Amino acid sequence: MVESLVGFAAVLVLVLLRFPIAFAMGTIGLIGYMLETSWRGAISMGARLIIDTSQDYGLSVVPLFILMGLLVNKSGISRELYQASNAFLGHFRGGLAMATVVACGGFAAICGSSLATAATMSKVAMPEMRKYGYTDALSTASIAAGGTLGILIPPSVILVIYGLLTETSIGALFIAGIVPGLMGIGFYIIAVWITVQRNPAAGPAGPRTNWPARMAALANVWAVLLLFGLVIGGLYGALDFWPIYLNFSPTEAAGMGAAGAFLIALARGKLSPGGLRSVLGETAMTTASLFSVLIGAWIFSNFVNIAGLPEALRSGVTSAGLSPWSVMIIIVLIYLALGCIFESMSMLLLTVPIFFPLIRDLGFDPVWFGIIVVVVTEISLITPPVGLNIFILKGVVGDVSTGTIFRGVTPFWIMDILRLILILAVPSLVLFLPSLR
Amino acid sequence: MRAFARTLSQLPLAVAALALFALMGLTFIDVVLRSVINAPIEAATELIRLLMAVVVFSALPAVSWRGNHITVDLLDGLLRRLRVQRAMEALVSLACGVALWFPARRIVDLAERARSYGDQTEYLHIPTFYIAWLIAVSVFVSAAILVFRGLALAVTGKVPEGQANG
Repeated sequence: MVESLVGFAAVLVLVLLRFPIAFAMGTIGLIGYMLETSWRGAISMGARLIIDTSQDYGLSVVPLFILMGLLVNKSGISRELYQASNAFLGHFRGGLAMATVVACGGFAAICGSSLATAATMSKVAMPEMRKYGYTDALSTASIAAGGTLGILIPPSVILVIYGLLTETSIGALFIAGIVPGLMGIGFYIIAVWITVQRNPAAGPAGPRTNWPARMAALANVWAVLLLFGLVIGGLYGALDFWPIYLNFSPTEAAGMGAAGAFLIALARGKLSPGGLRSVLGETAMTTASLFSVLIGAWIFSNFVNIAGLPEALRSGVTSAGLSPWSVMIIIVLIYLALGCIFESMSMLLLTVPIFFPLIRDLGFDPVWFGIIVVVVTEISLITPPVGLNIFILKGVVGDVSTGTIFRGVTPFWIMDILRLILILAVPSLVLFLPSLR
Repeated sequence: MRAFARTLSQLPLAVAALALFALMGLTFIDVVLRSVINAPIEAATELIRLLMAVVVFSALPAVSWRGNHITVDLLDGLLRRLRVQRAMEALVSLACGVALWFPARRIVDLAERARSYGDQTEYLHIPTFYIAWLIAVSVFVSAAILVFRGLALAVTGKVPEGQANG
């Protein structure tokens, strides 16, 4: 128990001193493991993990989904998604910000990363909202908050990693993310509505679009909707068009998604050989850095397991007489706090091996807990003072102070907390869809 | 000569890109064959696993070279104010390079053991030590790059030429 806590603290210190997260976790994990067993045992464990992790079939979903997101992005879909949602919502007060949230949700349906969603949408939505006189606070906040949906609405790289770490069905996790993701869109729209109720000048109404133009805008995004339908439908096993029945494993769904995105980008003439090479290279490098973190996290989790942290936690909870729900609340609070320091993937890798055995023993559903973890991570992305999405936005937009963005994001943050409480209180919101499978 | 070195340094990432593209094509064709004419590619799983290792470990040196490992930059402002940022970065890079050295040597041992046992993959009978050696070389190269990067930072105070975004 003590060894694990010292190890955890050491990782925190190294990470703050700018050690790459992979190396901080890996090195401390190896040293800890060595103290528990032997030098030789520890190094062998590390070497084996490096060899085996890279050849894990289940992990191949990671590069394929990243590739899918980058390829779809290349095909210029973010602008069209925004135009389509704008055509339907733009004439409401605050409508452009609402359209931003919806377009973020749409982009999240093909991209598994929150930071990428925020960065991409800010390039498209920010100039438009400025043109119509939206305040910077509302514009940036709607993008930052909408961007967080990237890791909840499937496909989600975070959910894939959670599924692999805990041996939970990735398909079930993806399906479970749909309802909370849609709730997120709805709640953020309410947040926009509240903002413009309090200050009508924050988001003036734009011009109304007529129906033929709306249909034309929608026609531009059908390919992406189809791609999403293919990936998620295939995972769900719902695509039964005799004689063809499509039922994908997560890797196959990701492969189909990436290949489909490749064909869409090709058909639209948006993919030069050089562009393809840079997308492939970028995906490979992102994959390599994610795998490094993954290997580091596994080494660290081997150490805390051999040091007996899960058992210690369990007996601690029992002897303290804590109810399962108070444990859950404490864990959620720990996540909210850690989310202020760690990038979401690393936080997940560092904490899930510690908390998951406890959660399972207390009788909570693994799929539900996975969604809770992701929703909490989303919240941490826009929590002052260090929400990562805020800084991404500040980086892309430039001439807005972080204070302004945080002020604007407050109603969104409150709606996020409401959504979290709702999902905690009513697990069937998450578990209903996967149970139909 | 310089052009040659440039090409050589870009080669691993080009291999990673090719392997990734093959990975995508392979899963796509496998699913289509299975769903349409019920004839899946038997060795697909095995090939996917091999390609994954190629993608990850061909790209790893590039990640280390560009300093693209995932870090937390919460204290950057403080470190910069204390004027220890550069020293810290050099030290971290050196330490990471040294730390990688030990598992890299063990990976070589494991690769050689696989070779002496004659371990092969199930369908295609590819000797597994090929891939283990690829991994070992990649980890060694990454370790060397990190050490070099740390030394260059400590001596010259800046990262070597050719690093896009440090």
